[in-house]
Amino acid sequence: MGRPDGPRDGESTAGTRTDGGVADETAAGDLPDAAAGAASPLARLRRSEFVQSIPFWGPPGLLVLVFVYGAVGWNFLISLTGWQGLGQPEYGDLSLGAYRRLFEDPSFAAAFRNTAVLLLLFTVLSLLLGLALAILIDRDIRFENTIRTVYLLPMSLSFVVTAIFWRWMYNPVDGLINEAIRGVGGAVDAVVFWTAVDFGVADALTQAWISDPRFKLYAIIFALMWQFSGYCMVVYLAGLRAIPTAQYEAARIDGASAVRMYLRVIVPQLRASTMSAAVVLMVFALKAFDFLFVLFGVNPGESADILSVMMYRVAFDRRQWAYGAAIAMVLFAMALSVIGPYLYLQHRRGDL
Amino acid sequence: MARLELDSVTKRFGDGGDAVVAVDDVTVEVPDGEFLVLVGPSGCGKSTTLRMIAGLETVTDGEIRLDGSRINDQPPAQRDIAMVFQSYALYPHMTVRENMRFGLEESTDLPADEQNDRVESTAEMLDITELLDRKPGELSGGQRQRVALGRAIVRDPAAFLMDEPLSNLDAKLRSEMRTELQQLQADLDTTTVYVTHDQTEAMTMGDRIAILDGGELQQVATPLEAYHRPANRFVAGFIGEPSMNFVPAAVEGGALTARRATAGDAFRYPLPAAAADAVDDGTDVTLGIRPEDIVVDAVDVDPDHAFEATVEVVEPTGSENVVHVELAAGPSVVATVDGLQQVRAGETVSVGIPGDAVHLFDARSGSALHSRSLDSVDLESRRVRP
Amino acid sequence: MTGPVDRRRAALYVVLLAMVAFYLAPLEAGLVTAFKTETGFLRTTPFVPPLGAEQFTVDAWRTAFGRLRQGLLNSVLMAVPATVLSALFGSLAAYGLTNLEWRGQVGVLVLFVAGVFLPYQSVLVPLTQFWSAVDLAGRVPLAVVGGNEGLIQLSITHIAYGVPICTVLFRSYYATLDEEMLEAARLDGASALTVYRRIVLPLSVPIFAVTLIYQFTNIWNDLLFALVLVNDPSNQVVTVALNELQGSFVNQYNLQMAGAFIAALPTLVVYVLFGEQFAKGVAGET
Repeated sequence: MGRPDGPRDGESTAGTRTDGGVADETAAGDLPDAAAGAASPLARLRRSEFVQSIPFWGPPGLLVLVFVYGAVGWNFLISLTGWQGLGQPEYGDLSLGAYRRLFEDPSFAAAFRNTAVLLLLFTVLSLLLGLALAILIDRDIRFENTIRTVYLLPMSLSFVVTAIFWRWMYNPVDGLINEAIRGVGGAVDAVVFWTAVDFGVADALTQAWISDPRFKLYAIIFALMWQFSGYCMVVYLAGLRAIPTAQYEAARIDGASAVRMYLRVIVPQLRASTMSAAVVLMVFALKAFDFLFVLFGVNPGESADILSVMMYRVAFDRRQWAYGAAIAMVLFAMALSVIGPYLYLQHRRGDL
Repeated sequence: MARLELDSVTKRFGDGGDAVVAVDDVTVEVPDGEFLVLVGPSGCGKSTTLRMIAGLETVTDGEIRLDGSRINDQPPAQRDIAMVFQSYALYPHMTVRENMRFGLEESTDLPADEQNDRVESTAEMLDITELLDRKPGELSGGQRQRVALGRAIVRDPAAFLMDEPLSNLDAKLRSEMRTELQQLQADLDTTTVYVTHDQTEAMTMGDRIAILDGGELQQVATPLEAYHRPANRFVAGFIGEPSMNFVPAAVEGGALTARRATAGDAFRYPLPAAAADAVDDGTDVTLGIRPEDIVVDAVDVDPDHAFEATVEVVEPTGSENVVHVELAAGPSVVATVDGLQQVRAGETVSVGIPGDAVHLFDARSGSALHSRSLDSVDLESRRVRP
Repeated sequence: MTGPVDRRRAALYVVLLAMVAFYLAPLEAGLVTAFKTETGFLRTTPFVPPLGAEQFTVDAWRTAFGRLRQGLLNSVLMAVPATVLSALFGSLAAYGLTNLEWRGQVGVLVLFVAGVFLPYQSVLVPLTQFWSAVDLAGRVPLAVVGGNEGLIQLSITHIAYGVPICTVLFRSYYATLDEEMLEAARLDGASALTVYRRIVLPLSVPIFAVTLIYQFTNIWNDLLFALVLVNDPSNQVVTVALNELQGSFVNQYNLQMAGAFIAALPTLVVYVLFGEQFAKGVAGET
C-alpha cells in the first residue's frame, strides 16, 4: 500500500507479456498450428477479400475491359491503318496519316467548331434553365410531383421520337413555333399598324428553322435543351434539398432578400451538382448523334455538322474506316479531357 | 467458454512512412467467463482491438489466442465468437426469428427444429418472444438492442464481443440495460469483451477494465483498483467524474510547491511521510486529488493541509454540489460536497486537501509515484459475481 | 401584407404552368396531329384537336403500327434481357467493388466509372469488326437461335456498355448499406456469396427498380448501336424502324407522329408508372 510501484501491481501488461512469449513458442512447436503456419500464406490468399471479390466484379469487369478499353485500343489501331472500302484492315503498315488529314480537312474544322458551340451553349443553357426550374419547384409548391414529372418527361423519350416531334414543331409553314410567332407577331403588327408603318414583325421572325444554315445549330440546341433541362432540374433539386433548411432561415434572419440569398448562400453550394450535371451534358453533347441523324441523315450540312455525325458519315457511309476511327479518337480525347479532371476531383473529395 | 489472450497485438494502417499505429503492442488476458471492458477516448484503438479479435481486421503483429490456439488467420466465422454492434446491425428484411436463426443456419449443421428451439428459448430468456415475427423496422431501439443480443446469444459462442452496444439508447434505458446485461453475462458465464467510451459503463459493468489511450494499453485492473490506484495520470484523469484535480508542483524539502505567475505566497503542500518517501527532492511532479476527497469549509482539517480559497462557481446536481474554488495560493480545483451543504459563489472558504488522499505522478512520464492510502477497501471486489 | 405575397405566389404558378406548356407542347401537338387527316393537319394550327369528322382519322395509327410491329417485338426481345443482365452484372460488380474491401478497388472502380462517359463513336468501328469476326466463328452455335443474331449481338453490346452505369448506380446504393450489418453476417458464418444472396440482394429491390427502369429506357431508345450492328431487316428494332418510317413518309406528319408515339409508348408507360425511379436513375448517373 502506498508504495511508489503500487499502482503497477494491478497492471497485467508486464506479467502477461512474458507469459505470452512462452505460450507463443509452445503453440508454434506444438501441434496443428505448425501445419497451419506453413499453409497460412496460401490459405490467407484464398480467404482474402480480394480473391473473394473477383467472382463478383470479374465477369462484368471483363466485359468492360474488352468492350470499352479493348475496343478503344483497337479503334486507335484501326485509325493508324489507312483502311477504307470493303476489305479488311492491314495492321502491318501503320501511320498517322488519318490524323494529319484531320488538320487539312475543312469539314473537320467546321464539325469541330459546331461541336464546341453545341457543347458550350447547350450545357450552359440547360444548366441555367434547370437551375431556375429547380429553385421555383423548391418553393413548396402544390402538385410538385406532377410538375416535376412533366419537366423530366422529354428525357424518357428516344431522340428518334423527339427529333420527329421537333421537325414538326419547326415546320416552316405549319409548325407550332412559327404559328406561335405569327400569333404573337400578328398582335404586335396589329398594334404597330396604328402607327401607320408595317414592320412585318410576324413574317420577319418566322423562319425555316432547321433548313436555314443560320439557325440550324441553334434550333437543335434549343430542342436538346428542351429535352435535357429537366435532367438538370432533377440534379439541382437534389442539391437544393441537401442544403439544411436552417441555412435558408439564417439567411432570412440576416436580412438577405430571396435573390441575394440564392446568389450568395445557396447557388455556391450547388457547385457539386453543377459539376456533375455539366459533365454529363458535355459528354452527351459530344456523342449527340441520334437527334441530328434523324433530322438530317448523314449530311446535316456544314453549319450543323458535328463530330459524332461526321464520324458516322465518314466511316459507315463513305467506308473510310481509318479516318472515321481517327475522328472517333478525337471525340474520345475530348470526352477524356472532360471526365479526367472530373473523376480526379471526385476521387480527391473521396466521392468515388 | 474460453480464455482469450491478446499477446503484443499491434495494428498498423497503411504502410511505409504514412503508417498509422492504431493499436500498439497490447497484451491482455481475459480468463474464462470474465467481463472485460475496453475503455478509452474515441480514437484510442479500442474498437480496432475488438475488430481484430472478431477477425474483421487483420492483425499486423502479435497473436490472438482463444483457449490457447492462435486465431489470427481464422476467418471471422470460424472463431466461435459473436458480436453485438453499436448499430445493432440487424438484417432489416428478415423477421427477428430469421435474424436470430441466420447465424445458426450459416455456421452450424443443426437440424431446423433444433435451430428453432434455440431461437425460442433465447427469445424467452430475453423476453422478446412476442417480437419474433416482426421485422427490425417495427421495433423500438431498446427492442432492437435485445434482438441484437439475442442474435449473439443464440449461437452460444465461446466469447461475446460488444461494441458500444448501449450507446444508441436513451439514458434511462441505458442504465436499465446495463444492469440487465451484467446479470445476463453472469448467468451465461461467457467470456465477454465490451468496448465503451463511457467510463461509468466501464466502472459499473466490468470485472476488470482495460484502459487504452493512443493505441497503448494504460492499465488493466478491477474498476476500484483503476479508480484508487491509477497506473498513470491518464487513467487517473479518465476514470472518475468530475475528473481528478491535477496541480503541477515541485518537490522541495518534503513538501510540494507550485510557482504562480502573479506575486504573493506560492502554494505549498507538506507531504505526508509515505508520499514524501516516494519522490526525490527537486523533482517535478503532478499532485492529484479527487474532487470528493477535498473538504470545503473544513473545520477539523489539519492546518498544514488547509487553504484559504474563493468559491467561483457552484453546480448543484441535487445529490451533491460541484464546487469550483480558487485557492488564494494559486491553483483552482474542483470539489464535490454533499448536496445539502450550503456553499455560495463568491464566498471565502477554507479548503482541506487531506494528506492520505493525494496521488503523485511523474511530471514528465505521467506514471504514478504514489497513490492514496486506503484502509479497508477490497480492490479485488467485483460486481455481481457470486 | 398578403397582397404582394399572393401576387408573387400567383406569378410563380403562372411561370411553372407556362413551363409545363413548354415541355408538353411538342407532345400535345404531336398527339393531336396523329389523329388528323392530311388536310386536317395542313389546315389547322398544330395544337388544335381535329375539327369535325372529316379531319379526324385513326388511319395514321393503323399504318404506323403495321410498319412498327416487328420492330416493337424485336426491341422487346433485345431490350428486356439486356436490361436485366446489365443490372445484374452491375449489382455484382458494385458489391465486389464496394462491400468487399481490398486494396486497389478504387482503381478498378475508376475504370468502370469512366466507361459511363465513353462516346460510343470511339468503339463503333472495332465493334462491327468484332461482331463480324464472331459471326463467322460462331455460326454454328448462333444458328440455334435462328435468325436473331443481330438482336443477340445488339443485346450483348448493350449489356457490356450498360455495365458501367449500372455499377455506378448500385455502388452509390451499396455504399449506404450498414457496414456493421454485413460484418455481422460474416461473423454469423456467411460467405461473401451468401452475404450477397441473402442480405444484399433482398435489400437491393429499390435500386434494382431504379436501374432496370433507367436501363430499359436507355436501351429501348438507342439508335446508334442498332443502326450499326443490325443489318438484317427482320431484326430491325423499333427506333430504326421509326427512323425509316419518317424517312419514307416525309410530309405525312400524322403518320410520323403516330409512329413516334407508338415507338415511345413502352418508355412512356414505364415513365408514368415509375417516374420517381427514373428520376433517381437520371440523378444518380454521376
